[in-house]
Amino acid sequence: MDLKKLTIKSIQEGLAKKEYSAEELYEKFIDFSSKQNPKLNAYISIFSSDDKSALSSAAGGNLEGVPCAIKDNILIKNTITTAGSKMLKNYRASFNATVIKKLIAEGTSFVGKTNLDEFAMGTTTENSAFGPTLNPHDLKRVAGGSSGGSAAAVASGMAIFGLGSDTGGSIRAPASFCGVVGLKPTYGRVSRYGLIAMASSLDQIGPITKNVEDAAIVMNVISGHDPMDSTASPREVPDYTKVLGRSIKGMKIAIPKEFFGQGLNPDVANIVEKAIAGLQSQGAHVDYVSLPFTDYSIAVYYIIVPSEVSANLARFDGIRYGHSSKEGKTLFDVYLNSREEGFGPEVKRRIMLGTYTLSSGYYDAYYLKAQKVRTLIKQSFDKIYEKFDVIVGPTMPMIAPKVGELSDPLSFYMADIYTAQANLAGLPAISVPCGTILADNSQMPVGLQIIGKHFDEETILKVAYVAESNR
Amino acid sequence: MAITKKEVEHIANLARIKLSEKEVEKLTEDLGDILNYINKLKEIKTDNIEPTAQITGLENIFRQDLPVKTDSQIKTAAEMTQAAPRNENGYVKVKQVFEENE
Repeated sequence: MDLKKLTIKSIQEGLAKKEYSAEELYEKFIDFSSKQNPKLNAYISIFSSDDKSALSSAAGGNLEGVPCAIKDNILIKNTITTAGSKMLKNYRASFNATVIKKLIAEGTSFVGKTNLDEFAMGTTTENSAFGPTLNPHDLKRVAGGSSGGSAAAVASGMAIFGLGSDTGGSIRAPASFCGVVGLKPTYGRVSRYGLIAMASSLDQIGPITKNVEDAAIVMNVISGHDPMDSTASPREVPDYTKVLGRSIKGMKIAIPKEFFGQGLNPDVANIVEKAIAGLQSQGAHVDYVSLPFTDYSIAVYYIIVPSEVSANLARFDGIRYGHSSKEGKTLFDVYLNSREEGFGPEVKRRIMLGTYTLSSGYYDAYYLKAQKVRTLIKQSFDKIYEKFDVIVGPTMPMIAPKVGELSDPLSFYMADIYTAQANLAGLPAISVPCGTILADNSQMPVGLQIIGKHFDEETILKVAYVAESNR
Repeated sequence: MAITKKEVEHIANLARIKLSEKEVEKLTEDLGDILNYINKLKEIKTDNIEPTAQITGLENIFRQDLPVKTDSQIKTAAEMTQAAPRNENGYVKVKQVFEENE
């Protein structure tokens, strides 16, 4: 049995035909992952096949027996949740995230917790305290980030699907780099309860899958209101699988010209343009538009995110949980030293930046200003959606970089250029594989990004399904 | 200089992080570069634009102040505090808050 070829549907069939049991399948995935993982470093921890709490007993669920990978910033009760950081290296989660509760109720089994950039800050997993995750298509390249572990696990067959989180592109970037599907839901579609917070006004949990259908199935399970998350929307959850296979004839697709400007690798542009032509051949109308704040979006993002990060990470002080320093004499020393020892360089950089931008004398010039430009960004999308159904373009300006290729902070930040605005405007966005580029003898994946209107995951899934079928 | 070493040291204190000398130097440089970059927002006119604090449009999400049963198995103070690096008999232990006068 080729684990790489299995999908949610094929497992449902396999179980129904009694080709294998859920337990047998789970053992196979644990075994395979334990052998494969050292090569890729996708998992920080793999559960033991004796661990019955990782294998759900709920029979007849929509995800019965489906083994998945969970990004290690999502809490699974009684298991170590590190957030990719030394700060939480030994932290044992005291409750289940809402998405985990939902997956358990549908019979999902958990293979393990996946690697991420520390506290989800990064685009390559090179910021993880546990080493980078490598790209299954070329081990000299990164899997992407910050949900690199989940993407690599799915792409290499070590899990059927994964959960990631996306604040500025952290589901879509690794999905694009690893050649899998990654969906960031509308802000508020999926509960954040049990997700270690990075930037509370932007974070969303979402599925990373082998195909669009699986993404729709997982979205059906994880979406919905949650009394434990006051930002979760009470809006009803449709059946996301119903739209798959429907025609996109007459659909109006907007291509932002700023997404095809300087900085985009010409080979990537070529592949994406072919994919867009494919959508046109299925009857969609394509036109160019402008997202005039694209070039400013990184600046907006890297003021808002560090500001919210500085507040969210203040809880890590060596007192209630996490790393606590043995150095120093006073309570103040415990804070100063625990945070110095527990946090990596990128985390410190963002906390420092955010502390500055929120501090007295600078709040108006930076944070407030960024919040106002954020309004302008939202309005620029609203304007396009008056006439168009979706916005399409490349997910990333390049293929997966080599380990160590991106060196200074700004070059990392600029990689979010096509993805961050969707988070700032709260819009749903999916990356679907649309081709590969030959680089150093490896076929490196390219992702097509489709951004939709608020709570219109159905349309982006519909278009993504067509793009996938065109290949 | 977009930001001075002294400012970086001040921020580190606000952020409660004891940076090494080397870190302060690197951060002065890094933050300087980043701040120079984000200063380009000055180019955008934002008079009469309302800031967006959150994108949901939801307001005043409340729930009743009543205890609810959860699936938490934590029943005692000892269990609740066992994740704390320093704990004793159901209490989180901290170093003294007030120092003795010299």
